[in-house]
Amino acid sequence: MSAQDDVLVCDRVVRRFGGVIALKGVTARVRRGEIFGLVGPNGSGKTTLVNAVTGFYPPQEGRITLDGQQINGLKPYRIASMGVARTFQNVALFHGMSVLDNILMGRHIFMKPNPLASLFYPWWARKEEIAHRRKVEEVIDLLQLAPARDEHVDVIPLGLQKRVELARALCAEPRLLVLDEPMAGMNQEEKEYMVRFILDAQEALGLTVLIIEHHMDVVTAICDRVLVLNNGEEIAQGPARETIADPQVVEAYIGKPRDAA
Amino acid sequence: MFYRLSGTYHTTYESDRKLWKIPADRWQVIAVLVLAVAAPFLVSPLYLGSYVLPWVIWSAAALSLTLLMGMAGQLHFGFAAVMAIGAYSSIHLVRFGVPFEIALILSGLIAAGIGTVFGAAALRVKGLYLVMATLAMQYLVDWVVVNVPAISGGAHATLRTPAVSFLFVDVSSLASRYWLALGWAVLLTLFFLNVKRTSFGRALVAIRDKDFAAAVIGVDPFRTKMMAFFTSSFMGGVTGAILAYCYYRAVTPEQFGFDVSIQLVAMVLVGGLGSVIGSYLGAGFVLLAPIFLTNFIAGMAGAGWIPVSQNFLSHLPLIIYGAMIIGFLLFEPLGLAKIYDNIRKYFLVWPFRHAKS
Repeated sequence: MSAQDDVLVCDRVVRRFGGVIALKGVTARVRRGEIFGLVGPNGSGKTTLVNAVTGFYPPQEGRITLDGQQINGLKPYRIASMGVARTFQNVALFHGMSVLDNILMGRHIFMKPNPLASLFYPWWARKEEIAHRRKVEEVIDLLQLAPARDEHVDVIPLGLQKRVELARALCAEPRLLVLDEPMAGMNQEEKEYMVRFILDAQEALGLTVLIIEHHMDVVTAICDRVLVLNNGEEIAQGPARETIADPQVVEAYIGKPRDAA
Repeated sequence: MFYRLSGTYHTTYESDRKLWKIPADRWQVIAVLVLAVAAPFLVSPLYLGSYVLPWVIWSAAALSLTLLMGMAGQLHFGFAAVMAIGAYSSIHLVRFGVPFEIALILSGLIAAGIGTVFGAAALRVKGLYLVMATLAMQYLVDWVVVNVPAISGGAHATLRTPAVSFLFVDVSSLASRYWLALGWAVLLTLFFLNVKRTSFGRALVAIRDKDFAAAVIGVDPFRTKMMAFFTSSFMGGVTGAILAYCYYRAVTPEQFGFDVSIQLVAMVLVGGLGSVIGSYLGAGFVLLAPIFLTNFIAGMAGAGWIPVSQNFLSHLPLIIYGAMIIGFLLFEPLGLAKIYDNIRKYFLVWPFRHAKS
């Protein structure tokens, strides 16, 4: 693999919170067009790594690059405008807005918010609003959100909210899409829908996806490669099915056979 | 009833984003606007000058504040100071020889500049701490206005507004002053409604609702908050100038004191945060309810229906006024705008029970 095929490179990333070392020099490469799984038990540093990538908790040591450009040290909104979109483990939608407005927020990095443009709406802002509305409607179609379009986000069910959040991230046309447990708290049917939508979106938009997921059936079904973390360290990396079966990974998740006895 | 959603189809994104999507709403807006423009011919000068005119101007002030407090979620307890800056700068600019129209815009810019400086200092903090920081602005501006004779003309001086004309129309008669104020309120209203349907307004609401989620989709929190402070202070500054020229016509520092800031916050809260109609209803309630209650109680007492002491009688309107505010906020925490909305929705689907939006 040449370096140009790596969208995201994390090079020996270290993040400390006081005395706790959440990431102890993690290295990962996410290749263009793949779905890269990030798994590990609770507290193993998965979300911390994602937060380091998106700029919430910049790493103290190491380097993170997006298509060769260094992004660690940049503010979250700068990283977002460079093409990294993400969803949150606990849905983070804007409760004062409708589904449509929430998804329109995803287009924000392409828009120029300006009070004067708002004042002269018919001559200035309308064209931009309509053009972005078209893009948004494409994503709404892709994720089958049309019936919920005009609803307020806080009255729709969790499964739908997660899909709205995915739509908002997709509208940013990301180079790298980061999904933090997109299936947490969902039932089997909602999970299957979500997997289908992620695969559809990936195929339709040619996405590169970094996904944190606890459901091993989902991980082995959709991930090309996975990185397994434990206590902030890599314990295995490679093709999904083999890596999940690695004895070390099994041990990290459910303990050694003799502990279990 | 009069409203119906059925039969109203939107086949383009343009029409789906109209300000008033239901025909009945459009007619209602036109009717209110016609009544407002014709008010000088319909209402006696006494009522126009002492009720309608201040109502319109304070509604504009509440609209300015609710952009910052309601939409962007940044508490501001020193908004009267922003208006004071606008009022005093416009008077001094006109005296200096600047045309009134340009002086209005400049005074807005000066208020926006100073308001944004305080906003920037305050942006490191949130919630109650922001309240304290904006209170500091209130007292600092008050102090400077009172103690710098070049601004206030002396500690207890009254600064008369010079005679001006707006777009070659002399603004001295009551009707012309009212129309100028009304024009400004209409402009602010249209601006506010347009903000709500464009990316600027969405960014403000995003910052208010979840700032980390806003950042992760590319909203610069600092820049957006600064823009909110700037825009809101500009609107407040020009409203302060309009208030000085169209209503007070003679300005003293007490007209922009801390109690006025609190009244503005009350207008915004009672009306409903971030709502256009709420700004009008809230301003109307806070301004007019005490007056009507006083007259009402006086009338009742005059007829001998309230057998209490004179001392208690003078406090009774205030007691009822306070109780009404508490009652409204208990009954509907989202303010008068929400009550209006509930009634509107009821008629939207009558005789059925449930409305969608």
